Amino acid sequence: MKQVSEILYQDKKLGFFIYLIVEAVMFATLFATYIIFTPPSEGVQPDEVYELKTVILTSVFLLSSSGTLLVAESGLKHWNRMKIWLGLGLTLLLGSLFMGFEVHEFYKYASEGHTITVNNFLSSFYVLVGLHASHVAFGLAWMILLMLQFKQQKIPESLFIEKHKIFNYYWHFVDAIWVMIILIVYAPYLF
Amino acid sequence: MNIPFIGEVPSDIVVAWIISILLGGFLFSWVTKAGKWQVIMKYAQTTHHRKIGVMYLLLAVVFFIRGGIDALFIRTQLAVPENDFWVFQSQKYNEVFTTHGTIMIFFVAMPLLIGLMNVALPLQIGANDLAFPYLNAVSFWLFAAGGVIFNMAFFFNAAPNAGWTMYTPLATDTFTTEPNNNYYILGVQVSGLGTIFTAINMIVTIIRLRAPGMKLSRMPLFSWSALITSVLILVAFPVLTIALLLLMFDRLYGTNFFMGEVGDPVYWQHLFWIFGHPEVYIIVLPAFGIFSDIISNFSTKRVYGYTSMVAALALIGLLGFMVWAHHMFTVGLGSMANTFFAITTMLIAVPTGIKVFNWLFTMRKGIVKIRTPMLFALGFIPTFVIGGVTGVMLAVAAADYQYHDSYFVVAHFHYTIIGGTILGSFAGIYYWFPKMTGKMLNEKLGKWHFWLFLIGFHLTFMPQHFAGLNGMPRRVYTYMWEDHIFLLNFVSTIGAFLMGASMLFFIWNIYYTCRFTGGAAADPWNGRTLEWTVGSPAPEHPFEPMPRIDSLDAYWYAKINKKQLPEAEDVRPSPIAVETFQPVLLAGVIGIMSIGFIYGWLWMQIVGAGASLAFFVIRSLTDERKRVYEREEEL
Amino acid sequence: MKKLLFLPVLLLLAGCNIRALHPASDTAATLTDLIYLSFGLMMLVFVVVMVLFIYYLRKFREKAYNVHHIPLDTRENKWFEITWTVLPIILLTILAVPTVQATYELTSSSAGNVDEAPQQAVEIQVTGKQFNWRFTYENGKQSMNELVLPVGQKASLRLQSEDVIHSFWVPRLAGKIDVFPGKVTRLSFVPNEKGTYQGKCAEFCGAEHTQMRFDTRVISEGEFQEWLKQE
Repeated sequence: MKQVSEILYQDKKLGFFIYLIVEAVMFATLFATYIIFTPPSEGVQPDEVYELKTVILTSVFLLSSSGTLLVAESGLKHWNRMKIWLGLGLTLLLGSLFMGFEVHEFYKYASEGHTITVNNFLSSFYVLVGLHASHVAFGLAWMILLMLQFKQQKIPESLFIEKHKIFNYYWHFVDAIWVMIILIVYAPYLF
Repeated sequence: MNIPFIGEVPSDIVVAWIISILLGGFLFSWVTKAGKWQVIMKYAQTTHHRKIGVMYLLLAVVFFIRGGIDALFIRTQLAVPENDFWVFQSQKYNEVFTTHGTIMIFFVAMPLLIGLMNVALPLQIGANDLAFPYLNAVSFWLFAAGGVIFNMAFFFNAAPNAGWTMYTPLATDTFTTEPNNNYYILGVQVSGLGTIFTAINMIVTIIRLRAPGMKLSRMPLFSWSALITSVLILVAFPVLTIALLLLMFDRLYGTNFFMGEVGDPVYWQHLFWIFGHPEVYIIVLPAFGIFSDIISNFSTKRVYGYTSMVAALALIGLLGFMVWAHHMFTVGLGSMANTFFAITTMLIAVPTGIKVFNWLFTMRKGIVKIRTPMLFALGFIPTFVIGGVTGVMLAVAAADYQYHDSYFVVAHFHYTIIGGTILGSFAGIYYWFPKMTGKMLNEKLGKWHFWLFLIGFHLTFMPQHFAGLNGMPRRVYTYMWEDHIFLLNFVSTIGAFLMGASMLFFIWNIYYTCRFTGGAAADPWNGRTLEWTVGSPAPEHPFEPMPRIDSLDAYWYAKINKKQLPEAEDVRPSPIAVETFQPVLLAGVIGIMSIGFIYGWLWMQIVGAGASLAFFVIRSLTDERKRVYEREEEL
Repeated sequence: MKKLLFLPVLLLLAGCNIRALHPASDTAATLTDLIYLSFGLMMLVFVVVMVLFIYYLRKFREKAYNVHHIPLDTRENKWFEITWTVLPIILLTILAVPTVQATYELTSSSAGNVDEAPQQAVEIQVTGKQFNWRFTYENGKQSMNELVLPVGQKASLRLQSEDVIHSFWVPRLAGKIDVFPGKVTRLSFVPNEKGTYQGKCAEFCGAEHTQMRFDTRVISEGEFQEWLKQE
């Protein structure tokens, strides 16, 4: 007979995976929107807006944060608190750096006059990448909450592991979406 | 009407204010006098599937009355040519049909079915609750918040007015500048989130919480339909979420996704119908499931063609995603696209036909006991077949150039949605009422309700086919004598009032039953499925001990063999129930945030959003799993 | 009970001339034929279902003597199931062939963005606007809410909207075609009967959508030329 926590965790995991499918459909719709309106028939073109340097920097930070999260995951397996701290800490740092550059990118574009209302290419770009950025921001807050709970040690180990794992799925998913953004949003107009 | 301090307000709204105040005062004093506040508080904190299901149904009935009154206004205005009934012309009329459509789809059809799923689904598959009780409460309160937001609009003289399809560019802020249509966006968005969470909950419950031995191939058809509907929701609703998000950007932040010159108005139609067509299957498949169970139950026979019934459900669901552009035949997508969507649409008739014949053959060689639920199922078959065959007629792309956006279409979809979803929900309510309340609805009043409703229904909608063919477009507030559609419309109006009258019997029936009748037995209909093994009303943790299932309709075969269902030993743990005000408060702050967006009040958006996000933290810190896992670790 | 309901409907049907079923142009005639064909096929389905439904209901309804009986479970019959899968497919195929034919015929010539203008057609520019229709003829003549066409000659319409989506509909002459801002759609038909026909906007377009009606007057070639010359 399996443990209660194990079975309830499996329920939650399945539910969360289904939720990620929902998210995937939402992003797919936004990708479709972007593809339909880009390149735009009039107004500023994507290759005039995008900047290779920022894209590379943000990508490096976010994609490697998935790697550092793996450290925390392996720490969970053997309950190595050091590894969990290290993994979560690095991921938080890299994620924050990503956020910083993302905000900087938006700010720069906007200050160059490429605001959301200019044309439908920019509108769909901001809605899509903005939604992704808000997912990252939500993930960062989630991570901080997770670390607080880890530090306080007021919840049972099994519950912490459960929460941590669910967060991992989320973070990897957000990363996968970023890969899609690189491939669909940036790559065709940068190279 | 000129009201001091407020200004010019249409008189219907003033009447609505007065009635609401009177009704609200009456309800308040009644609840206080009857000492029912405690009950209300209990329900506000509950996460139990039956109680949440009952709340869904109650709220759906309230919205049904609202939508129904809208319908009666529409029919009164259209009763005679060149009519000027009260205020319902022009924009006011547009508001009425917009709210009628939106309410009936999102705030009546959906919650009626989700409510019935909540009540019956866990009991049918031997689950002690839905997989995520807390999330279920969140779903319900989000739906309630969405419904309240949407319905509020009218009271502030700002009811949405671009049709329930919100076709752009009419629905963008260039052509409808007032906040009216923002109410639609936010109301539907918030309740749509609730629907998505419900779908997740249902799927996990069905996949992981079935009783031991209840394979998917032994699951009652209502549960199957709930599973397939939930899968459809997962794919369809996120598309709506994004479509509404983009529309919101168009309306609030100056983008032009759907504007005529720079954007693409047809793209809105694509997004809307990629959601919208699966949506009509989302609301009809559970009704099919209800009818399958009821027809089998009251024919005293196993459902005919179980396997093909399941296959047909799945096929309808699948095809449902490939037909959306049949709502757009007149857009000029080209002959290739029109032909493709015409053929796929016709194909849906095949699995639907299979279901109809299976229902007929379930009755064959059975003993058909005509009780109220069965009566609704019997009324459904011919009604839905009419809706189905007109559906095939509409699928003929070229001929649809004539039917499109005429009253023929109005008649068609009322035949399918009322004939399917609404009759199905009534059938389900009569059928499962003992499981919800422990009482049986009155048969005699039920029959009155049924016959008045059915006759009224056909009187209302049969003539509309001909009005449409005679050139009556939908969404018009009047017509002329020379249009030659007076008689058709007049009959239609009479029918509508008959339907309205039938609802009085229904409501009286519920009141009468709850007030004056005694407890129902656990198995009043001589049922076949697991929900009839547990008490009426269904207790919390009904399956203790947990039965082991070895066939379809296992309970029935145990009964006729005069045996008990065997007990299962390796029972999985139940989901954890809690009592908490968090879901209702969360819905409250999301409602506040929505108002902020509707009127563009930034501070309110920030306060609402911040408070909503705070609930994630609160939730995480008060997780009910904590105590359960702690106990486990102590062992 | 059911039959009683159909009675008034039949009376109404006989009592008035349903516009979509009394075509006055080649295009509308094709549509009417399709409507009748699909209606006939579907009535067949409906009658079969109703016969089975009423027969089974009468035969297997609970009787005083069998209230407590328990009927035997019937096994599914493969052949029955194949029958009601295959027969609808056949019916639908019968319907699909003329559907595809008509859709291709009408859609390629009457809708979509086809640019080749047919020879010897009366070319008319149709502009939809909240809440009226403007018709512009080849010689620059404009008329509001009145479309005038010569009988027996192909009318070729190019439609566009100035604001929201409208839909152009003259039930007796042709099916609908939507009218968009920023995009031209086309519709053509040959009116073959003189007379005045109702036209309406069929796509909800705002407050006075109901009032967005127009008349289509089909007159003889000579009268049409006269009319064109009038200021």
